[in-house]
Amino acid sequence: MASNSTAAWRGASVARRSHGLAHRLWRDRWIYVLLLPTAVLYGAYTLWPIVASDAYGFFHWTGFSASMRWAGTSNFVAVVRDPLFWNAMRITFLFVLVTVPLRVFCALVLAIVLNNPRLPTARWLRTGFFLPVVTTSAIVGVVMSLIFDPVSGPVDLLLLKTGLIHKPLEILGNAHTALWAVMAVWIWKWLGITMIYWLASLQTIPGELYEAARIDGAGAGRIFRHLTVPLLIPFLVIITLLTAIEALQVFDLMLTMTGGGPYYATQVVEIYVYDWAFNVSVPQLGYASAAATIFGLVTLILAIGQGAAVRAIRRRALG
Amino acid sequence: MDLTRREYLRLLGAAAGGLAVARSGWSRPSGSVAANPSAATSGVIKWWDQFQPLAPLERKTFAAWEKSHRKTTVDYTVYDPNHQGQALQVAYNSKQMPDVFTLAGINVPPAQLHKDGWFAPLQFDHASLDRLPKGTLINGVTGFDNKLYSLPLYSPRQYSTLTWYNKELLHKAGHGSPPRSWDEFRKAAKAVQKQGGGSVYGWICDVGFTDRLQVHVEDLAQAAGAPGEGNVGTNGAIDPRTGSYVYDSDPYVNAVEFLVSLQKDGVLFPGSQTLDARTARVRWGAGSACFFWDGSWNIGVVAQSMKTFADQVGVGSIPTPGGGAPVLYGSVGGTFWLSGSSHVQAEASNLLETLTKPQYFVGIAEGMDQPPLDLGAVHKAKVHPTYKQAIALFQSQVKLAPNPAARNPAVLDAVAAMPNVQPPLGAVVQGILSGQVTNVRQALRSFNDKVTAARETGLKTAAAAGSKVSVDDFIFHNWKPGQDYSGT
Repeated sequence: MASNSTAAWRGASVARRSHGLAHRLWRDRWIYVLLLPTAVLYGAYTLWPIVASDAYGFFHWTGFSASMRWAGTSNFVAVVRDPLFWNAMRITFLFVLVTVPLRVFCALVLAIVLNNPRLPTARWLRTGFFLPVVTTSAIVGVVMSLIFDPVSGPVDLLLLKTGLIHKPLEILGNAHTALWAVMAVWIWKWLGITMIYWLASLQTIPGELYEAARIDGAGAGRIFRHLTVPLLIPFLVIITLLTAIEALQVFDLMLTMTGGGPYYATQVVEIYVYDWAFNVSVPQLGYASAAATIFGLVTLILAIGQGAAVRAIRRRALG
Repeated sequence: MDLTRREYLRLLGAAAGGLAVARSGWSRPSGSVAANPSAATSGVIKWWDQFQPLAPLERKTFAAWEKSHRKTTVDYTVYDPNHQGQALQVAYNSKQMPDVFTLAGINVPPAQLHKDGWFAPLQFDHASLDRLPKGTLINGVTGFDNKLYSLPLYSPRQYSTLTWYNKELLHKAGHGSPPRSWDEFRKAAKAVQKQGGGSVYGWICDVGFTDRLQVHVEDLAQAAGAPGEGNVGTNGAIDPRTGSYVYDSDPYVNAVEFLVSLQKDGVLFPGSQTLDARTARVRWGAGSACFFWDGSWNIGVVAQSMKTFADQVGVGSIPTPGGGAPVLYGSVGGTFWLSGSSHVQAEASNLLETLTKPQYFVGIAEGMDQPPLDLGAVHKAKVHPTYKQAIALFQSQVKLAPNPAARNPAVLDAVAAMPNVQPPLGAVVQGILSGQVTNVRQALRSFNDKVTAARETGLKTAAAAGSKVSVDDFIFHNWKPGQDYSGT
């Protein structure tokens, strides 16, 4: 008897929930209708290419033919065995390891300076530092290749006139300098957005805390070390995560400045994938997709690791 | 397991379930002719090529043709040769193929593309075919199954490493004529640079365009005595007597070391590592360097876009190790192809047929691009003197090479099945010039081994698929170096 009544109650509850769900869906129908374009576009231009690309990795396909041949895991095995893939991975992660700390740190310093309400030109300077962010990367790349031109570019002219060098320096054509030049340009180009993240973070710290610290006799250094830094650490992890992901997406700038050369010295994984898909003698879209999938998995693992770190730090920060 | 792309997408679409909306945009017909009613009714012939110097001629030809075909117009685009292959690849997959196109940037053998339905046969009458020089229509190259699929327009007697020079700079440096030997080239480049006082360099090269760099090395090696140019894909340095690749032979090693010596002399224009052909040519035209290696089309581009510089331009032969007359090899190939998915095939074929007329070959010569198939047209054309000089050099220096595909079209099955060789020769040479690769002979031997292994794989794959082809198909016992090959 008891069990029958419990079952009846559960059935009624499920019916109510179902009715409630349908009711809520109908009630919020305009929200879903308005979300539909985003869902469709995100599905078509983000989710579907990811799924399709992962699947293409299992086929031999040039892109010039309507038919594809099943390849099993051979594309993935070939990618893993290709020393140029690991060269591209090394360059990609070197790029991340060098640029992310520099960009995050420089942007923090900039944000602290520009967060000072007594700085009269703060707004102008913020705009100035943000301007490269809204400039197309490909255009920045083309302009920078002119700036680094060894014959007529201002960088070489300056170095020659000051006597620091005696013959033109091929910054983008030299395997020892090309990657570092692109790194510097990338940091400069995206510094503004990280600065904005930091400014937003700094403005979450209540002014009363600073006032209290000053009343307690703390100097600027101690305030920064014992108040600002601890309160910014959760933001630091998120900003680092975002910057690291952005540092893995440097295709447009690298392609326009160096094209991955000279001789693979700046070939990040994105350019490696692009070359196999479009630039090799006979394009191999299946192979390129396999390389992209492996790279995506490595990136995913890193992102999960960073996400776990964010949660751990937040837990610690919350006590 | 073979799948058409449509079948594959159906499977994947089913697996992806809720993404069915996105799927509809990816499917494409697997047959050779895709339905596109709008194109059928629009009467527009979409035409893509990379022949910038011929653009005025093409526009004039199309305008004349349109007058007698009032319902059809020609939508004409000139591409950067560096980018056209990618554009065609994207166009093919998005069902937006041009009706008439060249295969610049595509290294898949035409026979393979033919199997995938890329082309439609040309519907020419006999009079038009008779106008083309004998021996230029070859089954397996310009046609398949004894049907004509491509119109050859350019002479096989040409190469891409003529020594173009700035006459004023060379004369100021005390040289009256262009260098003929490698040593003379080095000396002249040094003299020009010394005379220029730091603002002028001896030589500018499109090192950043590695495909072209590979061609320069192949040309220099042939000029140094290497046999080759089999017109069987991108890696054609094969000795016809043995069927073996010769990328590690002395002429190749010496050619690359010649480039290295120029760099060590300091005469290479700084920044060449990142220059492609177009930017290198503009820099050369601006007086930044004296020498620039390019094909006969160089003067066509200069006359069109750097008119004031055209009078300063001189041309000489590709330099050779000892200054003697070089021998290089060439073979005929198709130029324009008619799309298998075109809905204006009859109209496009008719338009292509007009290009076989003698006045068009004169027009090609006047456009000063690659030499026309009928070299006699050059004498009737009004051209820059250097163009005539270039054609004369080609006529005396370039011999017809044997073409394995003409003897056995199944060779192309093996070439199509060859895996990519990475890094390609052009990139290896770029690495040598940038100092990242230090041992020239070892690097070339490694490349030669890779390309040999790739051909072995291609032969095995093609044989397994039923093609009757072997390494013997690359051997021509009756080939004699320095002579036109006319046998089979």
